[in-house]
Amino acid sequence: MFKRRVLVVSAGFLFAGLLGLGAYFLPVFQAAGSSVRSGYMPELDPRQRSTAPFTVLLLGSDDDAKFPPERLNTQSMILVRVDTVARQATILSIPRDLWVPIPNHGEGKISTAFQLGGPSGAIAAVESNFGVHVDYFVWIGLNGLVKLVDQLGGVNVIVTNPVLDDFYPSDLTPGGSPYEYYRVAVLPGAVRLDGVHALQYVRSRHGDLRGDFARSERQQQVLLAIKGQSSRLNVADLPALASALNGELKTSMGPTRIRQLLSVAGDFDGQSIHRIVLVDPYTSEGVIAGQYVLMPHWDMIRPLVRQSFP
Amino acid sequence: MRRALVTAALVVAMSVFGAGVYQAAGHLKTGRPHVQRPTQTTGSPLSGTIYVVQGGAIYRYQRGSFRQITAEEGWMQPAADPNGTRLVAVRRQSNVSEVYVLERSGRTWTQLTRNRSSQIELNHWSFYPRFSPDGSRVFYDYDPKDPYNSYRLDLAIFSSPVDPSSGDSVQWTDPNPYTGGDVTPIPLASGGLIYTKFSIDPQSKVHSQIWLQLQPGSPGTALTDPEADCLQPAVSGDGRLLAMVCTNGQPLSAQLVVAAFYPATLSLGRAAVLVNGQLVASPSFSPDGKTVAYLAPVVPGGGFQLWAVPVAQTTVPAPRQVSTGLDLDATSAPVWVP
Repeated sequence: MFKRRVLVVSAGFLFAGLLGLGAYFLPVFQAAGSSVRSGYMPELDPRQRSTAPFTVLLLGSDDDAKFPPERLNTQSMILVRVDTVARQATILSIPRDLWVPIPNHGEGKISTAFQLGGPSGAIAAVESNFGVHVDYFVWIGLNGLVKLVDQLGGVNVIVTNPVLDDFYPSDLTPGGSPYEYYRVAVLPGAVRLDGVHALQYVRSRHGDLRGDFARSERQQQVLLAIKGQSSRLNVADLPALASALNGELKTSMGPTRIRQLLSVAGDFDGQSIHRIVLVDPYTSEGVIAGQYVLMPHWDMIRPLVRQSFP
Repeated sequence: MRRALVTAALVVAMSVFGAGVYQAAGHLKTGRPHVQRPTQTTGSPLSGTIYVVQGGAIYRYQRGSFRQITAEEGWMQPAADPNGTRLVAVRRQSNVSEVYVLERSGRTWTQLTRNRSSQIELNHWSFYPRFSPDGSRVFYDYDPKDPYNSYRLDLAIFSSPVDPSSGDSVQWTDPNPYTGGDVTPIPLASGGLIYTKFSIDPQSKVHSQIWLQLQPGSPGTALTDPEADCLQPAVSGDGRLLAMVCTNGQPLSAQLVVAAFYPATLSLGRAAVLVNGQLVASPSFSPDGKTVAYLAPVVPGGGFQLWAVPVAQTTVPAPRQVSTGLDLDATSAPVWVP
């Protein structure tokens, strides 16, 4: 009788403890749930071994008032391969203007694949054109990046050259029109950027000879900085992060994979991360149907991708 | 009755335990780094006076403590005049930045530039002001507009007289198009100008080089290789040493390098690395030229702190962390005056 009571009381305390933990991590579960509910895919391949290398497609959209939610393109597509055992990663920026066959939709800029088919459409376009398997996706909007960087306390980057733009969209300014603009100047050298300035840095493309390629490089830089910042986070930081990003970030990665990524993020240094931007000779400029496009040179891109994303 | 009381007590204890687990989980999170105002901190004392910037305010650092000399109004990039009696600094607001001359107390003495326009894209930027060695002119960055392409925006280095009635403004440099331009002017006593020039190679890679120009409009000459990616030069008071930050193309770390400067041959001596592997920014020499102050975070992702390192050409010196808990503006080089 006494043993039974002890068991009941212990079970009660255990239940109360689990309830406390559950309440603490509630924002994480809610965020994970909302990703699936909004029509996004669950973890694509849950049987994957946790130590096997995996690929993540990072998608960034201008989700301001100019575009209805169902008509978003991806301004940024970055394919990342993470090898947690070898502590190596490869980052490939896919130009938004790349002219490719989009599965079931003819030819178009790869940035439109997301608009036509959501994350699965973007993944299908990347898989079919680049010949890679994508395990997960992460989608983030403009406010999502701002909140993510602010939640991390800012990011440190080395700005390689002045980033100046007299026509930067003021779409995130409270009460501002998405068609108005303001001036941006991010000065060179090592700097600490808060969320708004980090977004300006990765989004601005006017005034740089390299146009969208410069933006791709800066996006990779900020991604590395976010990785560096997140290495000091632990699983107890996830609820605050999930609350801040509620609805601004969607992913098919489960909490287990995110936890695993956080635990190894600090082990990747600049030397172990291979960065690829598909500049000339991998692509060349062209005009199709009156649109500026980038023509892929698959005979050069695919061997590079096969080597970097085996 | 007693049983009910024990049960109620246990339920309360369990609830408290559950709440405790919730609280304990919260204590495990690392959260955002806490940033302090400089005036709330003390630092390791250094000789002389150093001006630094945090949160749009200029702070004076003397004998181990900070004093705020301007309001948090977008102030940045102060520099001292040759006598150390006045400062020149930028005040940046949305869409525009202006150069002001300030008293050492932080009070505005005069406004040097008028960059504001009601049409957004017709506003101008002014950055990195520096007094000429005789104190009569101010060198600074300015964005002249391209009348044929409103997207082109490259900073060029100009000089203007402190007294507007005593001469005209002069454009010194002609930046490479669509690189962002030329920045961080250091006018020399010899009459030349050292600054950072950017270029983009055929492989679309950006390079920064320390550049020397003897006259306005002349092509100038590179003092560093493109692959070294050096920027943010500082020249010692006697003009014999040049400190700079070199990234060697690395995205997240840099070196603080010092080299002898030979104006006669327009060249640098062998470079010595003072700091390696830190996210180094904005070096500046002490008045006696024996120490370099710079900004860098203590840990990856941390706020920028003030550091000092002795200048040594042969051994690798140990840097000294001067401030803690701050988030200093890394684009504003410390100003070190006697």
